[in-house]
Amino acid sequence: MDRDMEADTQSHVAFFLTGRRQPEHLDAVDGLDLRPALFAGYRELSQLRYDFPVVLVPGRADSQSVQSLSGLIDGALATAARGSDAERIRKHVLALEQEVRALAEGGAGGTLAALWNAAASRLAKDADPSLADSFKRARAAIKVDGEVAICDAALPARLLRHAWSAVQKQKAERFRKDLDRLVQKLSDILKADFARSEAGRSPAHLQESVGTGYGGSFDFDALSHLLATALPKDTFPESRRQRIRELLAVLHAQQFFPPATAPAALAGAPAPYSFEFESCAEALAAFRERSPRLIELARAIAIAQLEIDGQYNEARHDALFEQFGANGLDPQDLEPFPDYLVCLNAAKMHAEEHAQLMEILSSGLQIKVLLQIDDILEDAAAGAGNLSAGLRSRQVANMAIGLNEAYVLQSSSSNLFRFRERIVRGLTFGGPALFSVYSGANGAASGLPPYLVSAAAMESRAFPAFTYDPSAGANWAARFYLEGNSQVDLDWPIQGFAYEDEQHQRVSEDLAFTLVDFVASDRRYARHLARVPREKWNGSMIAVDESLSRERKGLPDKVPSVLMVDADNVLQRVIVDERLIREARRCREMWHSLQELGGVHNSHAEKLLAREKKAWEERMQKEAEAQPAAVPAATPAAAATAVAASAAAEPEAEHSPDEAWIDTPRCSTCNECTQLNGKMFAYNGNMQAYIADINAGTYAQLVEAAENCQVAIIHPGKPRNPNEPGIDALLKRAEAFI
Amino acid sequence: MNMMSATECLLQMCDEHFELEDYQSGVPRWCTGCGDNAILAAVQRLCRDEGLRPEKTVFVSGIGCSSRFPHYMKTYGFHGIHGRALPVAEGVKMARPDLTVFVNTGDGDCCSIGAAHWIHAIRYNMNITVFLHDNQIYGLTKKQASPTSPIGTKSNTTPRGSYLEALNPLSVTLGVQNVSFVAQAVDWAPEILFDIVKAAYHHKGLSFVRIVQRCPEWLPKMLDPWLHDPNKVQLLHHENGLQVSAGMGRVYKNQLQHDPLDIDRAREIASSHETIPVGILYRNPEVPCYEDLRRPDTLRTPELTRAGFNRELDKYTVWPQDAKAKAA
Repeated sequence: MDRDMEADTQSHVAFFLTGRRQPEHLDAVDGLDLRPALFAGYRELSQLRYDFPVVLVPGRADSQSVQSLSGLIDGALATAARGSDAERIRKHVLALEQEVRALAEGGAGGTLAALWNAAASRLAKDADPSLADSFKRARAAIKVDGEVAICDAALPARLLRHAWSAVQKQKAERFRKDLDRLVQKLSDILKADFARSEAGRSPAHLQESVGTGYGGSFDFDALSHLLATALPKDTFPESRRQRIRELLAVLHAQQFFPPATAPAALAGAPAPYSFEFESCAEALAAFRERSPRLIELARAIAIAQLEIDGQYNEARHDALFEQFGANGLDPQDLEPFPDYLVCLNAAKMHAEEHAQLMEILSSGLQIKVLLQIDDILEDAAAGAGNLSAGLRSRQVANMAIGLNEAYVLQSSSSNLFRFRERIVRGLTFGGPALFSVYSGANGAASGLPPYLVSAAAMESRAFPAFTYDPSAGANWAARFYLEGNSQVDLDWPIQGFAYEDEQHQRVSEDLAFTLVDFVASDRRYARHLARVPREKWNGSMIAVDESLSRERKGLPDKVPSVLMVDADNVLQRVIVDERLIREARRCREMWHSLQELGGVHNSHAEKLLAREKKAWEERMQKEAEAQPAAVPAATPAAAATAVAASAAAEPEAEHSPDEAWIDTPRCSTCNECTQLNGKMFAYNGNMQAYIADINAGTYAQLVEAAENCQVAIIHPGKPRNPNEPGIDALLKRAEAFI
Repeated sequence: MNMMSATECLLQMCDEHFELEDYQSGVPRWCTGCGDNAILAAVQRLCRDEGLRPEKTVFVSGIGCSSRFPHYMKTYGFHGIHGRALPVAEGVKMARPDLTVFVNTGDGDCCSIGAAHWIHAIRYNMNITVFLHDNQIYGLTKKQASPTSPIGTKSNTTPRGSYLEALNPLSVTLGVQNVSFVAQAVDWAPEILFDIVKAAYHHKGLSFVRIVQRCPEWLPKMLDPWLHDPNKVQLLHHENGLQVSAGMGRVYKNQLQHDPLDIDRAREIASSHETIPVGILYRNPEVPCYEDLRRPDTLRTPELTRAGFNRELDKYTVWPQDAKAKAA
């Protein structure tokens, strides 16, 4: 190694260990506008087709509530771009898609239809007459419309509110339908009661019910008299009447769902509650305040149902409903009521709010919380360059899954479209749910679009995506889902990377995307990175993932580095200090924990597998050694065991041939024996015959019953009185049934 | 995971519990030894075990021995007209979907005069349970051949023996579109009969159970070969169908594993002549019920009904001349 090279390596090692850069050997990365090499292809997102922007389709509470623009265009092209015009339509519509994307990312809000029209007018300036035809045909194939949303800081709350509103609307419709039915049925009971009352049967009321047209055609006095004498006289208890009126009052006054749209119902109806909140404390306070009304309504619904079914029994139910809801309502009872939505931003969360969040998540209440995290690389107050401050927000979801009862979803914004079904599942889950979302919108920290930053956080395992669904099953295998992350069985995802070297030759290599690549794009961590001038590149630089897998003893001889590109897409090699490597190692350990929860490289399973494998090998070994002697001996033993097991499985009740008995389970209730002697033969609780009293009849009757039995299940046994007349003949007849 | 809420649990504690006697009404007038008794015992047991509220349960029948069934149940009943048990039951279910509806019909009532209704009831697949009491003869009118009488059956209407092959109710039912549950039982294996009756009750859709039953009065020996040789009865069992108990397994050793979702195999089994297949031949819970398809989305309030009437009647209203002029 020549002297210069040795000096370079030493300066690299020194930087790695101390973070102190020697300017003559290493360059600062500030101002170089570097980004991870794998980002080279993502400079202009509006030129690319990817999941965003998305269209928020109203009125859907399923996976179709959020649709990707690209997906919609692909669907439209599959329908519209056919025949000889296919290529032309495809080209025009893809250009339009790009224009819509550019408009949306440029800040133009609105519905898909509005952006479509705006983009179409822009392109129409080219005056190609076939453009309009292409657009018209494709637009006709798109059956949905809705607000267009891009992947920005507002996306998590916007998307979640959209899905939550659709789920609540569906819930409200269901609830309203049930409520209206109860109100109608209860009103019918009161109406029927009135119709049977003296006032209801009065000539005046009867006349009113017929109306004016044919009022003169009836003798209402006679009709009233007839009804008074013909109708049953049983009266409707006043307590029941009062109870039904109270129920109706509670059902009409409820504020949990909007009232029916009928104008009559709107008049005087109290304003419905709002269920959207900006803090956990507000949501909890509202829940507590409304709780008595909630219990009252749930109680009224339960009683109304019983009343309608004619099952309400004051003696049995009054006491029960007096104590109704004394301990609150359980999750199943709460399920039909609206869910609360709380949208939080981690940056504004203080410790008290944090405690309230945990209270919500462990309460079993239907409160859905969005925790939006804009920055997971924020500096800690403890020391510059320490990543642990952002860790608290990152770890909320991990803590929440430990509670076991809450639905937990963690995802980057970039992945929310892919997780749309899981979002709906969380929103329909009958309990608390936490949606921890990293938006990637950390201002000017990286200069990269939020989509790219959030995607990088997920890819680098800094913010892995997962869901924990307690309703999916009883164990972790069913509840925990980690497969949303790429290459889930690896420590770091590996991507192919190709570039052109100085000799204009294509070079391809596989790059691991690690936490360091993610952090390297953040300007606040520039001091932990140093660019190595091209002339000083040497073999002492190794990739970060390789460095992490090495066990270092003593002074390092290799320094971890990442490949980055500058604004001109020129490849740069940047070395990293130990602080970042330490963070990367911690990040990897956290990922390993998640992997274990998700059943990937599970240490318990691997240990058990190794133990079983060893035991199996030992058993095989022993069997191989003992085989010549064991084979003939084992067969009868095994056969005996099989016979014994089979006998044990089907125990058969033994009956002596002298005993009289009936194979009761096979009795077909044909009445032959009971009609012969109803004291000797009787039916059990399932209406099947047995011998109730053997002394209540003669042996001759037993034999006759056996002969008459349609299914031949009566066994007369031996006579108790050997002197019974004709006993020899009876015994002969009985032989067939013993 | 379908857990009951605390409220449901509490209400269940207050539920009434019923005994067999709560469903028994009068002494059946069927002949001694008649298979109808076994069916009645199984159905009353089902009502008790499932806690069916008598005022929410309806038995509908047509005409025949079996159709006396509603008289012996202390529930609501409709002893209707010949062959029309199914449309009556469908009407009851349509108007009152909260009721549990059973139909008891005989081989004449269902397969002859009521055959058209039978076919369409299968197709409509409403949530009712149908028991076809098949004794292969008209018993109430003292022995005339029915559609299911085996060829050669001598009766008052066929003194030289019947000329036609018997109609097979199972294969007919399995051939109708939307069929969702078909089973066969024999009255002389009451434990299996009860299991089938229970499975039929729990099926959502029209459950058709043909029960092969003895008529000790008019065809006393007809089923003896099957009655006295258990091997001529083939038990169909499956993890999604009937589970055979150890006791029944000892008596009926001729068993066949059959998946009730396999309709082609069900049709083959239904067509067998040598043995009587007993068990669930076909069950598909996915077939939609007519009452669910036709259930209105909106609540039928008196206002809605009144508005509908007015709209229809207005079409035929003759308005006075001046009103017409005013409207114009």
